[in-house]
Amino acid sequence: MNLMIAVPFVVPLLGAALALLLRRSPRAQRVSSAVTLAVVVAGATLLLDTTAGGAVAVTQAGGWDAPLGITLVVDPLSALLLLVSSVVLLLVLLYAVGQDISGLSRAMPQVFHPIYLVLTAGVCLSFMAGDLFNLFVGFEIMLTASYALITQALTRERVRASMIYTVVSLTSSILFLTGIALVYALTGTVNLADVAEKLGGAPPELRAVLALLFLVVFGIKAAIVPMHFWLPDSYPVAITRISAIFAALLTKVAVYAIIRTQTLLFAGDDISSVMLWIAIATMVVGILGALVQDDINRIMSFVLVSHIGFMIFGLALNTVAGIAGVLYYLVHHIVVQATMFLVNGLVRQYVGHTSLRSIRGLTAVSPVLALFFFLPALSLAGMPPMSGFVAKVALFEAGAQAGGWLVWTALVAGVLTSLLTLMAIFRVWVRAFWGTPLPDMLEARAELRRGPDVAGRRVMAVTTGAMVGAGIAVTVGAGPLLEIAFTAAEDLLDGDAYIEAVMEGAT
Amino acid sequence: MSTREENGREPQRGAVGDGAPPEGWEAPRERWLSTVVRPAFGPRSVLLEVATRLLIPTILVFSVFLLVSGHDQPGGGFAGGLVASLAYVLRYVAGGRRELAAGMPMRPEALLALGLLVACATAVAPLLFGASVLEAASVTVTLPVFGKVKFASFLLFETGVFLIVVGLVLSVVSALGARMEAEEEEVRIVRARTTRFGRMRGGPR
Repeated sequence: MNLMIAVPFVVPLLGAALALLLRRSPRAQRVSSAVTLAVVVAGATLLLDTTAGGAVAVTQAGGWDAPLGITLVVDPLSALLLLVSSVVLLLVLLYAVGQDISGLSRAMPQVFHPIYLVLTAGVCLSFMAGDLFNLFVGFEIMLTASYALITQALTRERVRASMIYTVVSLTSSILFLTGIALVYALTGTVNLADVAEKLGGAPPELRAVLALLFLVVFGIKAAIVPMHFWLPDSYPVAITRISAIFAALLTKVAVYAIIRTQTLLFAGDDISSVMLWIAIATMVVGILGALVQDDINRIMSFVLVSHIGFMIFGLALNTVAGIAGVLYYLVHHIVVQATMFLVNGLVRQYVGHTSLRSIRGLTAVSPVLALFFFLPALSLAGMPPMSGFVAKVALFEAGAQAGGWLVWTALVAGVLTSLLTLMAIFRVWVRAFWGTPLPDMLEARAELRRGPDVAGRRVMAVTTGAMVGAGIAVTVGAGPLLEIAFTAAEDLLDGDAYIEAVMEGAT
Repeated sequence: MSTREENGREPQRGAVGDGAPPEGWEAPRERWLSTVVRPAFGPRSVLLEVATRLLIPTILVFSVFLLVSGHDQPGGGFAGGLVASLAYVLRYVAGGRRELAAGMPMRPEALLALGLLVACATAVAPLLFGASVLEAASVTVTLPVFGKVKFASFLLFETGVFLIVVGLVLSVVSALGARMEAEEEEVRIVRARTTRFGRMRGGPR
């Protein structure tokens, strides 16, 4: 068990070292990075297999027992997210490799590979961290890697975007550290399980302040309104593979952290009305932003912001059904959002940009591309029978069960947001995919077909297809996935299993 | 211009800017901070150079001391690595990018990779013996001269951290300082050529 838990964190770091050593031979570097991520996927699969029934796997690094040592914990929630993230990370890496082979990207592979694997290690550590400080370390590893990644293939625009991104992220990190210090001052420990036990005796006002502080810290990273402004400014500007992985994972890691801290540490505190208001604001403001944008990547970024609102809504319900809905929504959204950005990368091949103003008739240019856009887009908008529909129904059902006027307001806002998402998606569909193609797009297609880089473009198309397939798999596998989500949600709301597993053997 | 001739190397133009590291990784190792080679920037400071020559060995030894004593005393791989990389930074400040390149044992990326490998390998190694990640073992032996010495397996991990820190600082210095310096020098050479020979020998590219 010890070995299994170490895999998702240590293997990517080893892979990063290998990628650095192999920087002179791009082919060896690609193979080693892909194998590294494949090992992580395999490890995550085994972890999910052991924990799916509700078990909690714990390892105490360094051999020191719980409140003192470095605790790594994998419960069903962590295992599920580890698996989905590693699959998406692997597919995006393959897409990037295709892009590098085809010579369509200006990114430097010798820099990209090591840092990408370090990012993987950071994401995995965040999901497994058993204490607040390691959660911070995981976040920092992830963010430091992301600062380097967002400036790949440097342009003036990217420098500007990365400045905003870095400053905002550092601000949230400072607040995070402050929060950890406050928790330590209050309880004398940073181990999540230990804090959960000791916070019980703290005055409720103090607990509420801490709960709100952590909500703000992770809310900045998750881009909930009103802390969302940085996201549509920075993500769309980065190169395709980076915006895909940022949109899919970084905000979701923050959502994971919100779920973990709010359910485990602040279980008894009621900030759910605050969270419901935030959820309503995030859903509505995000989607209204998406409706007025003219660039596909920016539209997708605003849609991303708005859909974070759904997750906050489910979490605010504080019921098993609500949290299970959030978990399924997380899985669905990670896959679909990454797919959308990869498809936008394919669009960029034909026109060199993603602005709706000068794209017409993509369906005629490439029917396959249109299909790749259409399926995840429907899913994102929540049309039956796609995974987005299942996720939203799960959330709305949970909301209806919970009741209360604020919940119903949020529900109405959610339905409205779904419809507006559909509108935003169809705006893209009508303007970019219908109509007669522009002459230079046909020229670009002819040139791409003649070009010597067909192999790389084929890899890109196949990996995007695989992502679309993964999205369909999330739909088809909704039954078992929801089952795991319900188990995980029960564990989360109960909390005792987690605390017992971690504190076992503690003095 | 004297820098170029006395160094016996033509600066490789074009190597700058397309991702290649600053030139001169294989610069001679025998004489360092030589008074013959004029630094590429500004006037030289004899005081600084002499002090640097005296200090560097001491700093490096001190960094190793910090590394070794780190397992149960203040110090450790991170602190040791920072101190060691300060020695190289000092040499860079005194002598410019050629001195920095000449002083590096290997390229910073390779140092980073090696450190990461060592650290990860020692983190995972205990798993093979059925212990948990990062678990440490130590033996105390009595050596003839040193007396009782404690060897902790953690020293290996700390060595990895040490290498990572040195590699990171060196790559930052060579990317931010040395690269900029190389580009500046380039501009100066081009400008000198155009003013001397005008358009005949080709103006700025």
